[in-house]
Amino acid sequence: MEYAVETFSLTKIFSDWWGRDKVYAVDDLNLQVHYNEVFGLLGPNGSGKTTTLKLLLGLLYPTKGRSAVLGGDGADPKISARIGFLPEESYLYRYLNARETLDFYGRLFGLPAKVRKMRIEALLDMVGLKAVANRPVGTFSKGMARRIGLAQALINDPELLILDEPTTGLDPIGTRQIKDLILELAKRGKTVLLCSHLLADVEDVCDRISILYGGKVQAEGQVRDLLLRSNKVQITTDAISDNTIERIKQLIKDEHADYEVTSPMDKLETFFIKTVEDAQQQALTTSGAVSTTGISDFLAAEAAQENILDKLVSTPVSRQTPTQPPVTESADRRIETSEPKPDEQLLRKLSKPAQPKPVARDKKVKTQPVKPKAPKPEQVRKSILDQLTGRSTPQNEDENSDSK
Amino acid sequence: MHSIWAVATNTIKQALRMKIAAVFIILLIVLLPVMGVSMTGDGTLKGRLQTFVSYGLSLTNLLLCLLTIIVSIYTLTNDIEQKQIYTVITKPIRRYQLLLGKLLGVILLSAALLALFSAIIYTITIYTPKLFDADEADLIQVDNEFFTARAVLTPPEVDVTQEVLDTYEKLEKGGQLPPDVPRSKIMAELTRRKQLEKRAAVVGQWLVWEFNNVKVLDPNETLFIRYKYDVSINPPDLQVYSRWLVGDDRQIRYGTTPETPIYEFDRKNLIRTFHEIEVPADAVAEDSYLAVAFLNDPQRNETTVIFPPDGLEVLYKADTFTANFIRAVLLILFRLIFLASLSLLASTFLSFPVAILLSLCILFTAAFSGFCLESFDYLGENLSWVYFYTVRPIILLLPQFDKFSPAKFLVPARLLSWPLLAKAAGLMVCIKALLLLLLALLIFSFREIAKIII
Repeated sequence: MEYAVETFSLTKIFSDWWGRDKVYAVDDLNLQVHYNEVFGLLGPNGSGKTTTLKLLLGLLYPTKGRSAVLGGDGADPKISARIGFLPEESYLYRYLNARETLDFYGRLFGLPAKVRKMRIEALLDMVGLKAVANRPVGTFSKGMARRIGLAQALINDPELLILDEPTTGLDPIGTRQIKDLILELAKRGKTVLLCSHLLADVEDVCDRISILYGGKVQAEGQVRDLLLRSNKVQITTDAISDNTIERIKQLIKDEHADYEVTSPMDKLETFFIKTVEDAQQQALTTSGAVSTTGISDFLAAEAAQENILDKLVSTPVSRQTPTQPPVTESADRRIETSEPKPDEQLLRKLSKPAQPKPVARDKKVKTQPVKPKAPKPEQVRKSILDQLTGRSTPQNEDENSDSK
Repeated sequence: MHSIWAVATNTIKQALRMKIAAVFIILLIVLLPVMGVSMTGDGTLKGRLQTFVSYGLSLTNLLLCLLTIIVSIYTLTNDIEQKQIYTVITKPIRRYQLLLGKLLGVILLSAALLALFSAIIYTITIYTPKLFDADEADLIQVDNEFFTARAVLTPPEVDVTQEVLDTYEKLEKGGQLPPDVPRSKIMAELTRRKQLEKRAAVVGQWLVWEFNNVKVLDPNETLFIRYKYDVSINPPDLQVYSRWLVGDDRQIRYGTTPETPIYEFDRKNLIRTFHEIEVPADAVAEDSYLAVAFLNDPQRNETTVIFPPDGLEVLYKADTFTANFIRAVLLILFRLIFLASLSLLASTFLSFPVAILLSLCILFTAAFSGFCLESFDYLGENLSWVYFYTVRPIILLLPQFDKFSPAKFLVPARLLSWPLLAKAAGLMVCIKALLLLLLALLIFSFREIAKIII
């Protein structure tokens, strides 16, 4: 039980019809994923990432070697009850609507009707599909189907989340949300194993990565260690006078080091998100998914007492991408300024005695105090209703710890 | 259990919402009432009812068989091909639970539709006499010969072994045996001829059948002699004239005082179709004995009359039409359960079109299993043991749908007894369907779910 996921010389050979070995999809793979870690499995197309996940989940049988998931067999119902899995495409029943889809998966877990209903509504809220919850999934766009796929992976509040290309088909906002979600889940003590070839996604969220090629591990380690250029230093400041810059240049010259002065560029992702949010604030309608923030409360764990504001202002140092601090900053700003839907945790705050606003721990982040828009009355009622009825035992604990 | 139930309800939703079931439902809802009005049979009320029940149930049966096959195969192969099974099987559900859930869903759907359509058929049947303003005689006839469930007695086969041996010896002594034919073949041919002799009446000859087990519940009821003729030469108007005596013939033979009446009938009937004579049940003797005698009328007939092997039966009321109808419908349900298991087995290792093809082949072989066996038996004389040890056991393994056809019981108002129903259930569901299901579970539990994608 030392590792959440461990493989021992895992090998999968695909043979042809005559039984001759054709392809080594996974070749003598030894992986170790720690508990409470975001682990990325990287590799070009056809490098054996998905095959590895399928072997872990018992969808394929290994030719040689074995694997242990949460200390057992991934196909064992006792183990799979603690796993959430999102396959490379969201394979959903086209004829069910979003709510029925989640209900079906909830029933497979044997969740009681009350818990199921509460979680479904919370998840629909979280993935921003509440408005289209009664539409058949077959009419959804790829990204919307992806969101439902993600929601079904979370319905059992899994300890281990296995995500295969979680961001394919998602718009940049959705991508950002999934990345935020993965970070938040990790903060709540979950283990996440994700595989992707979108390097930006992996870089933003993963603690450790492994790069596969030809079914073999080519490189493995902490993202920070692998990417940190320890012979360079980057300083980012607010706009300062030319005079000061000259003085700094002089200081650097004294050290006999090379330097470069530029204004940091926003990533296109950041710019895109900002534009869409402006549109949302003007209340333009869309038939697609609504972008929301926050995370469903039932996805509980030890760190759940953290307030959403904490999350906004404190990107943990360990997870911060060392090379691009400005990005992290503006991404955080997005979350504050755009509140297209009232956030559940904020609502909870409203219905409770005021809490001291947490102090921003990271000095370089320039945050404005949050001014939440007044939530619509029926949504407030619904949220309170949720608190009164829906919350089963783990949620109650959260709330108690919240009000402490 | 909760996961089996979740899969079952999902399967039903799939069949309904993907509009697979809709085609069949609409077809039946339109066709059944139309058939009820348009089918006239031979023009009598009884003929109309018989035709409607026979065709209505056969159509329902055929369409539901097809529906069951298509839904069971679609639900599993589609899940595998479209990969929804990836998200389902990685949840805490065992593979056998998934398969059982699918089976349960298909059976529930088929059973519900079967209940719906047989209720429609039943209602139309019950209201047909009122709808067509039948006269009194017609009503009495259908009450006695259709809206009832009658037990059937067939005469025991006459033992001809001794006669055959005698004839054989005689032929042997006379040196008339063909030299190159084995003894067994000659014996078989002789037996066949002797038995035919026993069932044939030349002009002016009497034939007598004796029944020892006629347990009529109420002597005020009626019983029925049901018969069919074959002839050696077709009479010009295809009619046979006959005289029948029904009662305890021992009273005549041994000259005792008559205790029970002996009834006499004169009939003129079309050849090669079934006819019935209605006889008051008090003709049966105290000890459940009844004799039926037939005279090939020497004045008006010019041909030998032959009764085919199933050509004479005694029928008497043993249960109600409703109870019989329900049992007949259960017979269809057993079929559907068998087909659902078969189709699921096929779809555990075959793709959609191939599995459909296989299941349809088996359905039609099973539907004509009697015919298949007969024709293969005929061929078998030349194919010898190769046939005997390969094709024949396979056909015997299939359920014999034609042997347990519901129309076979309802049209002649024949009792489908509980023991017979239990036998059908035992053969079709408990043995054959269960075997198929076990095999399906075995294959499905060990196969790799994910396709080979690298």
